[in-house]
Order: sequence, then C-alpha cells, then structure tokens
Amino acid sequence: MDTAPYLVHRFGTSLVVLAGVSVVTYGLLFLTPGDPAEVILSQQLDRQPSEAEIEAFRAEHGMDEPVPLQYADWLTDVLRGDLGTSYYSDASISALILDALPLTLELAAASVVVALALAIPTGVLSAVHRGTAIDRASQLGALVGVSMPNFWLGYLLILVFALTLGVFPVAGAGSYSQLVLPAVTLGTGMAAVLTRLVRSSMLDVLDEGYLDTARSKGLRERIVVYKHALRNALVPVVTILGVQLGALLNGAVVIEIVFQRPGLGMLLVDAVFERNYPVVQGITLFTAVAFVVTNLLVDLSYRYLDPRVELGGDPT
Amino acid sequence: MTTTPPTLEYGPDDAATPDDESTDLLAVENLQVQFGTYDGPVRAVDGVSFSVEPGETVGIVGESGCGKSVTARSIVGLQEPGEVVGGTVHIDGVNVHEASDRTRRRLRGDTVSMVFQDPDQTLNPAFDVGEQIAESLKVHDQPERQRLLDYLHAPLFASRSDWRDHRKRAVELMAQVGIDDPADRVDDYPHEFSGGMRQRAGLAIALASDPDLLIADEPTTALDTTTQAQLLDRFRRLTDERNMATLLITHDLGVVADICDRVVVLYAGQVMETGPTDRVLAEPHHPYTRALLECRTSRAARKQRVPTIEGAVPDRLGEQPGCPFAPRCPAAVDTCQEGKPPTFERDDGTVRCREGVVFGESDDDGGPVLEYGCGETQCAREDSSTTSDTATATARSASPPPRPDDDTDPLVSLEGVSKRYQQAGGLLRRLLGTDRCLQAVDDVTLEIAAGETLGLVGESGSGKSTLADLVTGLETPTSGAVRFDGDPVGAAGTRTAATLHDVGVVFQNPRSSLNPRLPVAQVIAEPLYADGWEDQRRRDRVGELLESVGLSERHTERYPHELSGGQLQRVAIARAIALEPRLVVLDEPVSALDVSVQARVLNLLLELQRELELTYLLISHDLDVVEHVSDRVVVLSNGEVVEAGQTERVLAEPSHPETAALVEAVPRLEHSSQ
Ligand code: SF4
Repeated sequence: MDTAPYLVHRFGTSLVVLAGVSVVTYGLLFLTPGDPAEVILSQQLDRQPSEAEIEAFRAEHGMDEPVPLQYADWLTDVLRGDLGTSYYSDASISALILDALPLTLELAAASVVVALALAIPTGVLSAVHRGTAIDRASQLGALVGVSMPNFWLGYLLILVFALTLGVFPVAGAGSYSQLVLPAVTLGTGMAAVLTRLVRSSMLDVLDEGYLDTARSKGLRERIVVYKHALRNALVPVVTILGVQLGALLNGAVVIEIVFQRPGLGMLLVDAVFERNYPVVQGITLFTAVAFVVTNLLVDLSYRYLDPRVELGGDPT
Repeated sequence: MTTTPPTLEYGPDDAATPDDESTDLLAVENLQVQFGTYDGPVRAVDGVSFSVEPGETVGIVGESGCGKSVTARSIVGLQEPGEVVGGTVHIDGVNVHEASDRTRRRLRGDTVSMVFQDPDQTLNPAFDVGEQIAESLKVHDQPERQRLLDYLHAPLFASRSDWRDHRKRAVELMAQVGIDDPADRVDDYPHEFSGGMRQRAGLAIALASDPDLLIADEPTTALDTTTQAQLLDRFRRLTDERNMATLLITHDLGVVADICDRVVVLYAGQVMETGPTDRVLAEPHHPYTRALLECRTSRAARKQRVPTIEGAVPDRLGEQPGCPFAPRCPAAVDTCQEGKPPTFERDDGTVRCREGVVFGESDDDGGPVLEYGCGETQCAREDSSTTSDTATATARSASPPPRPDDDTDPLVSLEGVSKRYQQAGGLLRRLLGTDRCLQAVDDVTLEIAAGETLGLVGESGSGKSTLADLVTGLETPTSGAVRFDGDPVGAAGTRTAATLHDVGVVFQNPRSSLNPRLPVAQVIAEPLYADGWEDQRRRDRVGELLESVGLSERHTERYPHELSGGQLQRVAIARAIALEPRLVVLDEPVSALDVSVQARVLNLLLELQRELELTYLLISHDLDVVEHVSDRVVVLSNGEVVEAGQTERVLAEPSHPETAALVEAVPRLEHSSQ
C-alpha cells in the first residue's frame, strides 16, 4: 500500500470513529435519570424547582428544541472549541479542561518515561540472559507489577516514602517532587506489561542473522544489542505502547485521586459525583479525541520504525 | 555487557605467541565444536585442522550438516550455535577463543571479516544500507571508541562530520563491490535491494575493515547463476587487488574450481582430504571426494540416473568408532568400522582414509578404488535401474517424445501472453505520470507437448516465475491466452475441479511451501481432502504416494522440521502428484539441496515421469540440471523469449547473447581441471 492512500484511509476511519464518539457522548445527557433540567435545578436550588423555573432553565440551555437540532447546535459549538458551561458555575468547560490538562499530561508523560526506563533495560537484560537468575527475577518482578493494583501501590509508596521516610510529599501537585510518587506508581504497572513485551520481542530478534553481521564488524556487544537488536524489537513495543496510552488515562484517574492531584481525572470524578453532565460529556469527548489521535500517531511512528511497512504490494 | 580491563594493545592472555613459527594467517588446530541436544552433545566439528596463508584462497566443501558453517563461525568466535570444546584457532598468531572480548573485537574490526549466506538475513532491516557500511568503517577507524550514544546518533553525542565522512566512503565501497548508482542507493533500505545487491552490500561491509582474511559462508548459494558469476568475479578481483586471503565455504564444487587455490573436504565434522584444487578435483584420493564429484549431473548421460551417495550425513551423537563415511563408502572394508582412519600426509595435501585406498591397492583385490562412486548396494540398484533405463530408452526410440511441430495438440499453449504489473510508487509519482510499470512477461508464445520436459531458464527477474504462475492459473495474463489441453486457463478461483487436478506444483523451498504444523501424511493428503476423497481411499493413496517417492510409512507422522531437505522435497513432490496431474510445474526443485541429494531427487523426478507419463515445466537457474532433465529449453530475458529449441542445440551452440552469457556463467569443474 502506498503512503498517500494509506494516510487518506487512516484519517477517514479516524473521522468516522470521532463522529460516532460525538453521537454517543451527546447521548450521555439523555442517560440522566429523570428530567435533567429538574434534577439540576433541584440540586442548584436545594429545593423542588417550580414549573416556571424549569421552563426558564430549559430555554436558557436550549433544551426545548428538537434533539437533532440540539445535537447540531452542540456539535457546532464543540467544533468551535466551546464545550458549554458547567451546571454549577459559569466556568466554560473548555477552560476547566485546559486548566486540569497540564497536570494530567505531566503525570502521563512522566509515567511513560518511568515505564520505558524500567521496561527497556529490564526486558533487554532478561532476554539477553535468558533462563538465568536475572531473567527469572525480572519475570517475577513483572508478574508482581502486573498483578498489583495501582492505588494499592500508590498508598504503599505514600506510606514508605512520604510518611515514614519523608523523602517526597504525600500529595498535591505543582512541584517535581510531588510528581515522583504518582509517576512511579502509574509507570510501574505499565512497565510490567512492557517488560514482558520487550523481552519476548527481543528474544525473537536475538537469533537474527544481521546481529552476527554486526558482531563480525567488531562492534561491542552493547551496541549490537541496544542499537541493532533493540531497534527491531521496538516495533511491536511501540504499537502496544499506543494501546497502553488509553489504559494510562484510566490509571491517571485513580492515581490523581490517591495523590490528590487536581488533574483531568479529579475533574471527571468530581463532575460525576455532582452529576455535572456537561463536564462529564466534555471530558469524555476530549479523552476520546485524544485517544484516536494518539493511535493515529502511533501508527505513523510504526511505519517510521519499520521501513518495510511502506512497501506492501511488491509485484516481484 | 562486557567490561574489559584497560590493557595496552592485546591483553596479557594474548601475549603468548603462536607455538609454531609458521607464516599462517589462520591456523585451525584440532578444532572441536559441540551442540547440546536433548539426546546429548552432537559433535558438529570433530577435530578439524587446516591453515590459510596470506593471500591464499581456500575452499571448504562438503554436504550440509558436515560442519562447514560451524567451523567458519567458530573461527571468528561467533559461538551460536555450538560450543568450542577443544582445539585452537589462531588468527595472525592470536588465539581467538582465549582472547579477551576486546581483542576479539579488534580482530574482527581489523584482521578478519565475514560474509554470510542468506541475503535476507545479512542486513539489518531497520537501517539504511549506507549506515550499515559506514558503521563498519567507523569501527575499523576507532575500534576503542565505541560509545553507544555515538552509534545511536544521539544529538550532541555523535559527531556529524565523522558520519558524513564515513558515508562518503561507504558510497565508494558500494561502487567497488558493483552496486550501480551508489550515491542514490546509499540511503535505500535493505528491502529495496535485490538478493544479489544485498550480498554485495554484505561484501562491502566485510571489506570496510580492509581485512587480511575474508571468510565467506556460501556467499552466492542463494543467487541465480548470472548474479553468482558476477559476484564471484568481483570477489576474485577484490581479494587479488588487496592480496586478501579468503576462506570460502560452499557445497558447489564448480565455485571451488572457479576461485580456490586449495580445498578442504569436510565430512561429518572431520577433514577428509586437503590439497590443491586442480589435483583434488581431477584426481581425488578420498572416496568421499570422488563420490561428491560423481554426483554432478554434468557427469551423467542426459535423462539417465545420476550416481548418488546413498544414505545421509550421520548425526554425530556420542562416541562412534571408525570412519564416519564407512556406511556410505564404496571402498569400505571391515577395519574401517573399527578404528579411526589415520590422516596421511601426501606431498600436496592430506587424506584421511585407510592406507590401502590412499596409496593405491593392487587391482586384483577387488579394486574398489577404480570403481569409486558405485558401491555394492548402489551397484545393485544401478543394475536394476539400468535395465529399466535401457527398456525405456528403447521405448523412447520407438516412440520419440512428441515434438511441438507434430500434429498432436500441445498440452499447454501460450499465445502472445503478456503480464504487466503496476509497480508500487508514491501518489506523487502517479500524479506526475512517472509511475513505473513492470512488464513481467512480454508477448510470449510457446507450447508444451504432452510427455515432454520444457526447461525455462533466465536470470532472476526475467519473468520465469511469472510465466509459471500464468500456466498454473495463479496469475491471469494482461493480454493473450493460456490454454491447457485446448481450454483457456481461468483464474484459480473460477476454475473447475478438473483443471485443478491437472496441474501440480513443486516449489524451491519445501520448508516454506509446506505447512509446518501438519504431519507428513496430512500435508500429502491435503489436496485429496480438498477434492473430497473419503478416509480409507485417502489413506491408501497417501501410502502409495509415499512409496512412489521413496519414503516409508514411518515418515507419515513426522512433522516437516523433523525431515531433511531432500526428504521434504520428496513430500512436496508426493503432494504435487497426489491428484494424478498431467502437468507438474517444477520451480527450482533442487536448488536448495546438496549435490548428492539433488542427484537423488532428480532421479526420482525422471522415474516418476516415465511411470506416470508426466509433462514437466522445469524452472531452474542451474543449467546443469536443465540440461540433464529437459527435452527443450526456452530462454527468457526481460519477459521475452529470446531463444527456444532442443536442449543440446541451445546449450551447445547458443545463438542469442543472453543464452551464451547464461552458459558462460555456470562455474564448471571442467574449465579449471584442464
Ligand atoms: S576409511 Fe574406509 S570407510 Fe572411510 S573413507 Fe576410507 S575406505 Fe571409506
């Protein structure tokens, strides 16, 4: 397959997915038990609202129009970057998300760094020393990492490093020292999955003949392994990493609560507890878009990592 | 990772100079390499000794499984697979297996280089070709400064100017090894190179360190004859220019005759015979060398049985007394089974055999020496088949194979057949109208008569395989018509069951063409199953087929990886003839096999043809094979038929330059032994 048609195809499918996502998220609003206007007003006013108040609220939020029209209005706003306003304050949802986003991105990025920094050397060592004590230890570590719930590890780390040793702050956000524990917590779980993947992928590659070519040049084993072998072993790892980014967002929600970081996850959970549907809707839509875009990027980087992917249908 | 103590030059462990004062560049002394298997250690290399002097070209020959590659890999200290358990290898006076990692790297970067067999495996698919050659140059220039970040081109850590310089020199090297437009191709990735080009790039990588010794492990085996000839030529020129010693591992005696000064004949991990190429090939002393030479199709009359070496290279498991060749040796006597035969020094080499054979026995004690290549068991077989040969020969002369100019309708006919492919090109290229279109087959008209063998020859890329795919219906022609028995061949999907029956196919590499997850019986039964045969009938037929290709019942439950290349190709043949086809397309059926096994498979194909009245379309780049088996030959070049005619005529007096070039390219023993 050529690059250009591939890109067109890939963008096309991404758009279809996004359209679907927008319909579903919009539908979220109708999952509200009872009449949303009534529920919201009663919460805002802390008493049973009158008919007139409900009517006024509906008119204000455009809830009296036919549904497709409401959807069209909403979508136009969304495309303009306007996700509506929160029920409880007049803050725009876009602004809420943009405020919370840096903290979540920071956490996600730091976790990926932690995950890769752990997984790549461990996976490589494990594969190179296959069957030895090193290999068994790393596999056991990976097993523990995979089985351990994130929040539990989070509390454990807080207990040891914050409460007992006092090396890092217990919670909060804003400084690097506050980032360490949450990033390690989230990164470890991901590292466990990636370590196994790096190991098996390296094992596949280590038998390849081109490594002997590299050795026979007189290259150091370290370069043979970390340049020639790893580069090829990374192709499947990157693909899985892309899929893992979705899981990372999931994890971030939990971790932000454990460590009291006012990020996207906290925002979402607060909104859910407050039945602040437009905010839930906005965050859902935003994360879905982010997910689709990351997957697209991962796909493209995959084609960069493995030059053969560009070829496809060679007639000879 | 290896941490080496900071030592000056060679480490203390290498301080020992070689014990002998010889000028040998490479000295292998009683080398022993073992593989661990479930059944115990296998002695892959069992006491091999030989040496290579500066500037000399030495060939190591033998069947596969004789320990050739293992020997080569052990010399440069590549351990996998196997473990060196005894003996020494000295390169330039340095003991390779006792040297520190650092010294060994120094040797590889400076003194010895290696070219590997499989062009698909030699180059790293993730880096462009220039990078891989440049890297080799860089190692050679600064063997001690190998920093990972530098080699990863990490910004700030890597010197851009150095790399630019190395890439420039890589382009020069690519030109030297015969890669056209090197400046354009230096950025290409390995998958954009043909097999021949990849081998050249592999050679460039090896030459980058300007080695004193080049070890080449079957460097041309995977290539077609013309490319092979060009590459060998290049090899010879470059090693001569640089006065480089070469150790060439090959199973092709023609290649040895072409470029080697001396030969080492290896069997079952032991050196059987050494000596100057001319002498060894013209007057082999050792029964194994003789047998190897006999197996060549060029020595046998056309369409007649080729002499073979019965049996297989033994697994060297556990202690085995006696000569490893004894079970297959025509000159064997009882004493051969008892003790290891001694190695005798002759004036120009060594022979490892019993004294009587080495120094010539008087003729009257059976004179097995003179009847080499035809052992007792084999002679018996030979006798029976000779009678059938003569029988068929007379039958043949009574009713000669139908010729295309006869009135009889041909089995297959192609009329003005062309096949074009749209080549993969970017959108931009398509918009600009510079899209490339590959004319794989161009206006080909030919006929195959029932019962004949048509040989299809040409360089790789000449359209041979496409033409075969058109005949089998795997491809549909862009224009023109392909007819089978008068009916047009449709696309594979639309054909009736009857036409599917009529054509069988045997591919070059049975390991990739047969399903590795099915036992042999099922592999063979698959087409029968697809054709709806019921159980009992299917089982009977499989038994019958196994017998006809010379395999026994005990093979039925084995899986493909448990069989040798020759046995697998027999399975592939059995499968191809399962539905009693009239035409069998043989796509390089013996190219992946050793000479001795080649001979046996060819004999089988000839027998089957006589028994089942098969028609063969044989595609091969090995002209010896084509010459031996085919009635007529068609020569393809760039998708066009450039010459066609009776085999003897075409190959003896080629009228087209392309044919002449093909004939010329075949490495032959006869050239050099004169
Ligand atoms: S020693 Fe005996 S069995 Fe071995 S090659 Fe010589 S004659 Fe044959």
